[in-house]
Amino acid sequence: MLSSGCSEPQLPSGLVYCSEGNPESFNPQQVTSGTTIDATSHQLYNRLIDYDPETKQFAPQLATQWSISEDGLSYKFELRQHVTFHNSHLFTPTRFFNADDVLFSFNRIIDPNNAYHHVGRNGYPYFQSINFSQLISSIEKVNEFEVIFHLNHKDASFMFNLATDFAVILSKEYADNLLLAGTPEDIDYFAIGTGPFKLHQYVKNDHIRYHRHTSYWGPKVDTQQLVFDITPNSTSRFTKLITGDCNVSALPRPAELSVITTQPNIRVVKNPGLNVAFWAFNTQKPPFNDLRVRQALAHAINKKKILSVVYNNSAVEASGVLPPASWAYSKHFDNNEYDPQKAKALLKKAHVTDLSIDIWAMPVARTYNPNAIKMAELIQEDLANIGVKANIISYDWSVFTQKLAKTDYDSVLIGWNADNNDPDNFFTPILSCSALASKNNYSRWCNIGFDHILAKAREQTEQFKRQPYFQAAEAMISNQVPIVPIAHAQKVVLKDKSITNLHVRPYGGISFAQTTQTSTKDKQ
Amino acid sequence: MWQYFFRRINLFLATSILLLLVLYIATGLFPVDKSFALSGIATPSTEQQLQINQTYQLQQSAFKQFIAYIQQRLSGDFGVSINSQQAVAGELTRVLPASLELAFVAGLIAIAFGVPLGVFAALTQNVFLQRLILAITLTGYSVPVFWLGLSLLLWFGVNLNWLPTSGQINLLYDIDSVTGVMLIDTLLSAKPYSFAAFQDAVLHLILPAVTLAVLPFTIVTRITRQALTNVMEQSYIRAAEARGLGTSKILFRHGLPNALVPVLKSIGLMLGTFASYGIVVEVIFSWPGVGNWLISGIYQRDYTVIQAGILSVSLLIISLSIFIEMLHTAINPVSRKELYASK
Repeated sequence: MLSSGCSEPQLPSGLVYCSEGNPESFNPQQVTSGTTIDATSHQLYNRLIDYDPETKQFAPQLATQWSISEDGLSYKFELRQHVTFHNSHLFTPTRFFNADDVLFSFNRIIDPNNAYHHVGRNGYPYFQSINFSQLISSIEKVNEFEVIFHLNHKDASFMFNLATDFAVILSKEYADNLLLAGTPEDIDYFAIGTGPFKLHQYVKNDHIRYHRHTSYWGPKVDTQQLVFDITPNSTSRFTKLITGDCNVSALPRPAELSVITTQPNIRVVKNPGLNVAFWAFNTQKPPFNDLRVRQALAHAINKKKILSVVYNNSAVEASGVLPPASWAYSKHFDNNEYDPQKAKALLKKAHVTDLSIDIWAMPVARTYNPNAIKMAELIQEDLANIGVKANIISYDWSVFTQKLAKTDYDSVLIGWNADNNDPDNFFTPILSCSALASKNNYSRWCNIGFDHILAKAREQTEQFKRQPYFQAAEAMISNQVPIVPIAHAQKVVLKDKSITNLHVRPYGGISFAQTTQTSTKDKQ
Repeated sequence: MWQYFFRRINLFLATSILLLLVLYIATGLFPVDKSFALSGIATPSTEQQLQINQTYQLQQSAFKQFIAYIQQRLSGDFGVSINSQQAVAGELTRVLPASLELAFVAGLIAIAFGVPLGVFAALTQNVFLQRLILAITLTGYSVPVFWLGLSLLLWFGVNLNWLPTSGQINLLYDIDSVTGVMLIDTLLSAKPYSFAAFQDAVLHLILPAVTLAVLPFTIVTRITRQALTNVMEQSYIRAAEARGLGTSKILFRHGLPNALVPVLKSIGLMLGTFASYGIVVEVIFSWPGVGNWLISGIYQRDYTVIQAGILSVSLLIISLSIFIEMLHTAINPVSRKELYASK
């Protein structure tokens, strides 16, 4: 029989990442799901600027320099020259990246008259949630390599938002070609960017294959071929890593981390993440429009137990939305401590009896919540203690998000991974009134006072001046309970020991541009 | 004889139409709009909606709708996948060859090992060996396939690290899909590493194929043993012995061909179980075949994929069973005789 006795077949060089699901699109502008961001942002695209979490400074990407006007309303960017876009079977670029591409990429989002604005079925959820089109009055092309963003009002989050994984630069030339060919929707599937890898092939439920972008402007990329092996089952990802079919594997379950010590070839890469797992109530639907009901449910759940069962105590209990790793974090008193008696009393006061609610639980592991269904079961048990019956509802991920968009759910266990280091990113995209329109506001809670606090925070540029506003926002959430923050989890990936230079950033998607492999194979 | 074939073909058509009818009624029961469940187009434009109504005759009587449904499905139009918005037929042609590859190799293993072992069990005089073989096959027959699959995965994949445990091939091998059968595609590939890729594909195939082969292997062994024991007691075998023919000649010319007839029949009867085992094995070993595709379609409430998966698997089973039955009649003189007698 064939066995490992015959010489080890030589493997083409490359890196395989076991990812957890199918991307929804290949354009990060149109999504907020981390799975899609991982597969697109840092592999296929570049942004104008990057944010370096270590120096806490913005770093150049496609923009080399920038300046902000005195009044804080105009941002001027000098663009990098000699940057090439990918070529594919559909497109061969005839020119370098220039200001037209920047204008196109952002006008697509903010200008309803742009030919591409309505291409794609999801809209631009992140940009809608931060009200981006209201913020920008115009984008001006000064010359080939200089653009100015004119804002309507001051916004300290603007630069942070340009540095998020969503603000990628597309090719205008490609877009024009596709429009002529009558297939504009191809722009989001057969993606063309300036990033370190170009998209070669996507087979749904199976894999995504990338090739190195040979004329990449940035630091040299070692990996010739990058493959995302789509493996929704966490145990399968783990076994693939052990058998060598994967080099890097996403989202291990906390319980698996204890087994890793028995595997000499596997290393854990982790970082305290900027994220929060929460339980959101549909505040527009009775009985959740009643504050006392929300408070009662918040008092009913035992977060300590969730932390030990779901997270194996690898996470931090959340008292508010902001995680300890955020600069605006300060430990504060949580009004909604675990107290079943209080919960019962509150329900009685609200004249709610025989309450039966649905808890929607995500079917897939996310960084912030490795096992939402388990969490839902624990909550179900806690709620039974106060006489509330809970049904757990779960669908496959893509169906789940589509059905959530219909907004007739009772409550949902979900969470948020920060996209940048700006604390505003924890509030505006998921709890503001504009987030309601973009359907990222899972509590469907719209409070003018709350939005006002956030607007104030954006007007300030000094951290110490902004911090009190964020704390006021935290206090408001704690009082109004649109969501119950549960935990802040660590961001963990597993890798083969031959993989070096793989960093897990506290926020945003994964990047393989700098990752290297020491030796191709040292099995046996 | 021709009349018999004609009757079988009729049976095939009747069963298939019944299957389509059941599927069609079930499609109407899905908790979504009927035109959506049939076409899979999530947000149709007005023209698309008209087109769907026209194609599936949605304004017409139920009978006309059913006829339109059959026409679409049999012409290979399964609509688009609700989840990916890609043509279901395209996805089906991608996953079907992988399943056939797995099933074929598993069947081959089962026959290649099952028939000789059955013959050995029938011929040996050693009672202990007979009992041992019986015990092994009975155990193999009773072991649940999911447990077996997971155990093999754990021993040979995770603990010993001898064999890969999931997928068809290490994805670093960039193999263009020509036939969809990985073993053939790797050899057809012009890449410098095509033979290495072939070896890798074989290694990936071992665990799932062995797991899937266990059930048919035990059945083939037992039926072969039983049938051969019966045949060897027939008077024509004794006559052959009396005429002084050698044991191997008796076995290969007179014994085995007659003993294999019931084996063929049992393979035909086993197809349904084999297919459902195949689905379980595909899911355990992440084999990118119809089973895996169907299960993920069910999880994703992908109604068009569910319909296409069920239809293709069932049609395959129906046609194969009827084919095997016809083959069985064609090569089996006894049932031919019965046929003429009943005429």
